[in-house]
Amino acid sequence: MMKFIRSKDTRWLSIWVLSTLAVWIWDIVFLNKPALHKVFNGFFNTFIIAILVVVFTLILGWMVTVLLHALQSRTNRAPYLAVTFLMNLIRSIPQIVGILFAYVGITLLVAGSVITSKALVFIIMAISMSLFIFLELVDLMRDRIDHFTKLDFYSAMRVCGIPERRVVNFDILWKNSRLHIQNKLIAVLGYAVFLQCSVDFIISVGLSTEVNEVTLPTTLGSLLAKIDSKQDILAIGYTLTHPGYTGHLFFEHLQGMTVAFLIVFSLVSIYHIANGYAERHRL
Amino acid sequence: MKSKLLEHLAGIAFVTFALLAALWVITIASGTAQRKQQAGMERFGDLSFIDFNNPFERALLRDVINIYYPGRSDRNDSLYNAIVKYKQKEFADKLQETHVAEGLSLQKIIEILGMYVNFFIIFVLVMVLTYYGVQTMAVFRFAYKKRRALSPASSASRKIQRMVIDFLAGLGTLLLFCPAYVIAYSIRTEFNTDTVVFMVLLGVISNGVLITYANKFYSFLVAESRKGYVDTAIVKNMNAGYRFHSADGIPISSILNPVKKFKGHVFDHIFRNARFQYLSTIKEQASFLITGLIIIEMALNIHGHLNYEMLRQLLYKNYSIVVVMILLIFYTVKMTDIFTDYLIHRENMKYENTNQ
Repeated sequence: MMKFIRSKDTRWLSIWVLSTLAVWIWDIVFLNKPALHKVFNGFFNTFIIAILVVVFTLILGWMVTVLLHALQSRTNRAPYLAVTFLMNLIRSIPQIVGILFAYVGITLLVAGSVITSKALVFIIMAISMSLFIFLELVDLMRDRIDHFTKLDFYSAMRVCGIPERRVVNFDILWKNSRLHIQNKLIAVLGYAVFLQCSVDFIISVGLSTEVNEVTLPTTLGSLLAKIDSKQDILAIGYTLTHPGYTGHLFFEHLQGMTVAFLIVFSLVSIYHIANGYAERHRL
Repeated sequence: MKSKLLEHLAGIAFVTFALLAALWVITIASGTAQRKQQAGMERFGDLSFIDFNNPFERALLRDVINIYYPGRSDRNDSLYNAIVKYKQKEFADKLQETHVAEGLSLQKIIEILGMYVNFFIIFVLVMVLTYYGVQTMAVFRFAYKKRRALSPASSASRKIQRMVIDFLAGLGTLLLFCPAYVIAYSIRTEFNTDTVVFMVLLGVISNGVLITYANKFYSFLVAESRKGYVDTAIVKNMNAGYRFHSADGIPISSILNPVKKFKGHVFDHIFRNARFQYLSTIKEQASFLITGLIIIEMALNIHGHLNYEMLRQLLYKNYSIVVVMILLIFYTVKMTDIFTDYLIHRENMKYENTNQ
């Protein structure tokens, strides 16, 4: 138990889970039922999408890394250059712009009844987000492959007749880079939550709120953009000049406060978990 | 460097061509849609000379139709009604589009360029401040941790002091991780959040940019400090203390200085080597920063700013304007990439002493 708490990553994981539970209990007691339901849905949807982003980032990242490695060793360099060129292009598009346009596209598809299943909306949202995130994982995996191919064990394994795909996929990426990949995926989870909330907030504030409500699932970002949540957040500013009002925040402005807390505290916790994980495994 | 520059230029050319092609397709598609809409009216002949707001002219049209098709009053009535209904719809559509539909005129391009210059200045300011903030925070944290490791808290007051510092650091981390819109809406009632100064400040402290990259720089410092040359330098009597007010330590003024130099201290070498590694992450940081600025402008609905305008034009389906704005943002990212590659190349030349 002490070991569990002493490690920064597990300690922060416990803090995150326990704090979220404490907030839920507080909300069950003091927040009205419809708002509680919305906040629960928003939290659940946000993390389902973020976890899907992690899964798709891993799949895409692994596939592209292996593809690039295979193309790199070919004598014909054109396909390799084409793929790296495309990757650099994706890198040059700010993620928020790419994801925003993807979400607008999804909204139109849902509004036009081309997509009707909620699960499919989740999957498409996650894929479109992972398209702009997976490059970080590719960079990490390629660095690891480059590092290990310079070591003797790579040549030794090749001389022993072990196929290159097994050396790369199993010996380098799975056996020797799994912890690095896991650490990156924890960071990706945090980034996915941040981007998800930001894009949903922007769409809900800037584009038509009614369309968004009908077409896209409720997330913490879209909940924060609702007028009642915004008023709750505005109350924090009022508290800065009227400290006596602080107590009201935790009873009368609970919806906005809960959503803002869940976003910010989740981001901080995931950041500390990723750092702690790297420290524990000396990455 | 030449090959990298070539790759960047090829990327710029490719995206410019792709987006201009998209612009062309959009223009053609909207022209076709407009023609399709007008085609409905064409079957009635040229009626542009009729003022449909004038009841006399409307009655005249009805009479003309009745004279043209005598004895078919029912058909003529429905034809007349269809024409009037079409004209009313056309008028209503025009009225609705007057405030929202915009094309890509010279005036609009100048307006967009003005907004872009504003965005670019904010971006450069935030980038410079973040570059300074990242290094300062990381160096301060490194020195503080070293001090702490060298002199563990012995007295109760020291322990309390450290706990207070840790608590404040925790609160600071919470603030630095706040998305820009949470901070901005929290203080909107008390402060004017639509100013450039506030935007720059928000760009620096929010969205986790500063803390993420300060942590990256800190890990570079830690990794460097574990290398053999540091031990060698300490054995050879270089200064290696981390107190802020001692002769062999690191003065606060050096940490806060924009050009950080720690002469005679082993940390000078640790810092320089860590900064070299940090340079390669600037591209990523710039992209993240632009994402943050876009979020700030869009989420806070700051009128007259490039990204808010892009969101507005997207809502009004003025895609030609949106394409130009995306192109400008893309150029900003590419310019930063080229500049970063140049910095890395210059540093490489310094250490490798080659003319690659």
